[in-house]
Amino acid sequence: MKQLFKKRLANHLTEMMKYLRLVFNDYFVLALVFLIGGLGYYYSNALKQLHSGIWWAPLLTIGVLLIGIQLGRFATLVQDPDYVFLLPQESEMVYYLRSAYRYSLVLACVTQVIIWIVLMPFVQVTLLATTSDLFYLLASILLLKAIWLNADFARKYRVKSRWVANRFLFRFLLPLAIFTISFYFEYWVGSLLTFLIILFSTVNSWRWGIRPLDWRTMIDDENNRMHTVYQFFNLFTDVPSLNGSVRRRRYLDWLLRRIRLIPENTYLYLYAHGILRDHEMGGLYFRLTVIGTLFLVFIKGEMLPIALCLIFLYLIGFQMIPFYFHFDDNAFVHIYPVTNDHQMKNFQRVLLIMLCAVATIFAIAVIAINYTNVVTIIGVIVGELLEVLAFIYLYVPRRIQRGQRSRNI
Amino acid sequence: MTLEVSNLVGGYSQVPVLNDVSFDVKNGELVGLIGLNGAGKSTTINHIIGLLTPFKGTIKINGTTLNEDVKAYKQQIAYIPEAPIVYKELTLKEHLEMTMLAYNLNQEDAWARAHRLLKKFRLDNKLDWFPDNFSKGMRQKVMIVCAFLTNAKLFIIDEPFLGLDPLAVNDLLNLISDRKKQGASILMSTHVLDTAQRYCDRFVLLHNGKVRTEGTLEQLRTLFPNAGDSLNDIYLSLAREGESE
Repeated sequence: MKQLFKKRLANHLTEMMKYLRLVFNDYFVLALVFLIGGLGYYYSNALKQLHSGIWWAPLLTIGVLLIGIQLGRFATLVQDPDYVFLLPQESEMVYYLRSAYRYSLVLACVTQVIIWIVLMPFVQVTLLATTSDLFYLLASILLLKAIWLNADFARKYRVKSRWVANRFLFRFLLPLAIFTISFYFEYWVGSLLTFLIILFSTVNSWRWGIRPLDWRTMIDDENNRMHTVYQFFNLFTDVPSLNGSVRRRRYLDWLLRRIRLIPENTYLYLYAHGILRDHEMGGLYFRLTVIGTLFLVFIKGEMLPIALCLIFLYLIGFQMIPFYFHFDDNAFVHIYPVTNDHQMKNFQRVLLIMLCAVATIFAIAVIAINYTNVVTIIGVIVGELLEVLAFIYLYVPRRIQRGQRSRNI
Repeated sequence: MTLEVSNLVGGYSQVPVLNDVSFDVKNGELVGLIGLNGAGKSTTINHIIGLLTPFKGTIKINGTTLNEDVKAYKQQIAYIPEAPIVYKELTLKEHLEMTMLAYNLNQEDAWARAHRLLKKFRLDNKLDWFPDNFSKGMRQKVMIVCAFLTNAKLFIIDEPFLGLDPLAVNDLLNLISDRKKQGASILMSTHVLDTAQRYCDRFVLLHNGKVRTEGTLEQLRTLFPNAGDSLNDIYLSLAREGESE
């Protein structure tokens, strides 16, 4: 079983290296060096302005540590067919999973040490922590991460008492409590407490390690983890293993029910259901809308809000264009007796509705913030209207025609 | 090897799909789990192989539940899922090796048996191919070869006939009867009723998550004298009755 994990890990690392090479290409590394350099410079300058006794300093540190400790998940590397092929080995799976735990812990500890190194000068300056304090803090962080992973380990088993695998408790509440004790009381007390808890959870793990496995949770967890990893890589390159997941989104059904069920609307039906329920597309649309609205809420001015508004609108629309081809791999659409003519019209209609919704939200945000400025109000309305129409009826057809040509080659 | 399901209540989320399901598979017996789509056949099987946790009731293999002894429970089972599920990055040969490792089989004997099985299912020239690219029927054959490579004492087979060619169906049925003769117990879910009628010793008829009735064909005929002679007739009349309820 340990052998199996080693083999899986080797395969996994080769795959990750393949993607990492693509992510960290020369340009990106260069940009990253400048970014880190710039941030470091900014950080060291900021440190000079700081002094001890700032009330928000411990709160900020706790916040950063709490977010930081969530980094690094339990990588089991289990695969879908395992529950069939490894069925007779279930009692031995604990050795496999322990190897996986050790690997995940080492990886997570590296991340935690980096966070600790970055935070070290800040804690020293603002909280007057001594060197031994800092090492107590490091011990707490690493032990907390081990406890965090241990709870995720327990989750893979059908533990008798569910709190052993409670994510909220071990991922959030416990670290919050320990960090609060560390910064507001004594660092070594925090370390001591975490040490006692890790002893307890280790002893406890001998008890749940002989329970039956919860294969469904284990496989789902791992697939979700890999999905996040692939999603990250997908920002830089095309990941073939990434097949979109679908969410039901029942609360949007009232929108979909409005589509008239006539042959001309075949593609409208497909595109509307697809865009709303596709996790990737729906998520992107939602995130960009929220980010855009937030920007607009905080920005005042005459021309700047209009420009920003138009840029975000274009970005959202642009991201949606490839969805035109979303159903091309589906044999059904090639069999349906419908023409491509309707396909384009239907797609434009979906885009129109989606973009109008965003445009309205943006416009409301801009007008609410700049209600005294008539030029901005008129500018935003006219600008958005022109952009949406030009984008959908002039730009999109050309873009798609070009895409179609390159697809046919 | 005996399998005993008693008063099983279970399902995927909080909503129970199965309501008080009880039946058993005795030593050297082939029991057919019969039911319409959605009757709860696969759910029952998922509970038996330990993929789902029962809300209530117990499942015992040779008198042991999964919670009591994971090893004793799981080591005797071979399972063929309804939809073939294979490793993307392993070849057919590696799938067989994986099975040998997992069931701790003697390599030499296992390979001898593997070659016989592969030849039977006409996969012997595809050892270095990736089953992930095979057709549904051929992937199903891979699952069958892997399961019958083992010395399992209890076979759980979920709807094995879909996608298989008639020759393979026949070969699979022969394999099952061979294993039965050697003393293995088999639980097989299906809705190919005429095949089930010819090969199964007993039948458990599931309907809407409940055991509608169970017994040998003779027993079923006496229980439902007006329903007809074949399993098909009896099942259809029971299912229709269930509909109109």
